[in-house]
Amino acid sequence: MTEMATPQQAPQRDVGGCPVMHRDFAPPGPAGCYWDLAKELRDGSPVYFNTFAQGYWIFTRHDAVKDIYKTPDLFSSESFTPWDPEPIYRFVPTQIDAPDHIKYRRILNPWFSPRSIDGAEDDLRALCRGLVEEVAAKGSTDFVAEFALRFPTEGFLRVIGIPPQDADLFVPWVEDFFAGFGGDPAGQERMTAALGGIQAYWAAALEERRGEAEPRPGDLASHLLHATFEERPLTDAEMLDMLTVLVLAGLDTTRAELGYMFRHLAEHPEQRRRLIEEPELIPLAVEEVLRFYTIIFGDGRKVTRDVQFHGVDLKQGEMVYGLVSAANRDPDHWERGEEFVLDRRRNNHMGFANGPHRCLGMHLARREMVLAVQEWLRVIPDFHIDGDEPLTERGGGSMMTLLKLPLAWEVAS
Amino acid sequence: MKLLIDGAVCMGHGRCYSAMPDLLTYDEEGFPTVRDELLALPDDRVAAAEEVAATCPEEAISLIDE
Repeated sequence: MTEMATPQQAPQRDVGGCPVMHRDFAPPGPAGCYWDLAKELRDGSPVYFNTFAQGYWIFTRHDAVKDIYKTPDLFSSESFTPWDPEPIYRFVPTQIDAPDHIKYRRILNPWFSPRSIDGAEDDLRALCRGLVEEVAAKGSTDFVAEFALRFPTEGFLRVIGIPPQDADLFVPWVEDFFAGFGGDPAGQERMTAALGGIQAYWAAALEERRGEAEPRPGDLASHLLHATFEERPLTDAEMLDMLTVLVLAGLDTTRAELGYMFRHLAEHPEQRRRLIEEPELIPLAVEEVLRFYTIIFGDGRKVTRDVQFHGVDLKQGEMVYGLVSAANRDPDHWERGEEFVLDRRRNNHMGFANGPHRCLGMHLARREMVLAVQEWLRVIPDFHIDGDEPLTERGGGSMMTLLKLPLAWEVAS
Repeated sequence: MKLLIDGAVCMGHGRCYSAMPDLLTYDEEGFPTVRDELLALPDDRVAAAEEVAATCPEEAISLIDE
C-alpha cells in the first residue's frame, strides 16, 4: 500500500472563520438520519470545512449547490467523491468535462430517452406485475431484496439488451462497489474486486460482439462497438468505462428511491388511498419522493482555479461537496420544504442533479417508480411495515438506501 | 403569451413536455423539440405554462408577454 498523497494537509488549511468539522459520511445509521444531518448542517452554516481525508468544503444551501452544478468550468467532475480526489475508477461520461462530455453523452442519450423507455414500457410493466404477483400471495416480504433490487436491475438489463438472468451476477458487484465508494477504507478491497468483476463481464461481452457487420438491435454493448467519437471508433477502455458506470448507477439508485417511497407509503395510508383514488397524482408523488428523499447526500466536484465562491476562497485542486439532500429541502427555496407534499407542483428539485451531468437514466428511473406504485397498489392496496425492528440506511457517502424494508399485508384466504 | 425554452440551459429533464404533452414533445435524445423559438400559448394554457416554467430544474423556461 502506498501513502495517499495529501496536497493540502487539511488541519493546516486556513479556512478563515468557516466552521470546521471532522466527519466521515460512510457509516450506516437509523433510516432518515442523513436527512436529519443535512438539515442540521444547513441550519448551522452555509459552508463548512471538513478535515476528513485530505479535507474539503461542504456547501449546504440551495443557491450554492445549484451554482456548483451550473458552473462546470469552475467545478470539474473529474472526481465527485470529495474524500477521494483521485479515484481508481474513471466513469465515462460522468467524470468527463466539456468539451468531450457531450460527445459521449450523445452516444448514450437515445438509449435512455423517453422514446426508448416508451418502447420498453410494456415489458417493464409485465416485469413489475410479475414480481408484485409473486410476493402478493405471501403476505409479507423484504421489499428491498425481493422487489426494489430486482425490478430496476432486470428493467435496466432489458433496456440495454442483456439477458435478465445476468442480474444475479451484477447485484453482488454493485453491493461490493458501494461498500468502498462512500469513503470507508475497509471497503476499498471489495470495491476494487467488484470493479474488476464488472469490467471482466463487459470485456467478454464486447469480445463476443466484436467484428459483427451490423450492431445487434437493442444491444448497447454492440451499439458501442459501432459508435464513433470524433469520427474514430471508441476505444475498449472508453466502452468499459461507459458500461461500468451504467451498471453501478442503473442498479443501485432506483432501488434506493423505491425503498424510501414504499416506506413512506406504508407509513401514510391516507396518501396511499389518495393515489388509488387519484392515480393521475402518481407522477407528482414520484417527483416529491425524489425531492424529499434525495438519496444523493452530497455531490462532489474539483475546483479548477482559485476563486471566491459564496464567501470562501477556494483553491485550485480542492474538493467541494454540495449537499443536494439539504438543498432539496432548503426553506429559502421551498415552501414547506421539510414536509412531504404528495401533490406538490412547481417542484424543480435537483434529485437527478443539475447542469450537463444530470442523471442519464432519469426517464427510466421515474417510469419504474410510477409503474411500481401503479402495479403494487393495484394488487396490494394496504400494507404496513412488518415488526418493530428499526430500519437502517447506508451512509450518505455512497448514497442513502434502506438496507431492508419488511412489509406485510392481509392475504385473502 | 409565448413560451421560450433556452436551448443552452435546457438539459432535457423532460418535466415540461411531461406536464404539457398537448403543446410540447421530445426528440430522439429526450430534449423538447421546440427550443430557442417562441411557442404561442392558447389563453387557457398560460397558467399551466407558468407552472411548467417553475418546475424546470434548470430554469430554462420563460414566458414572454407580447
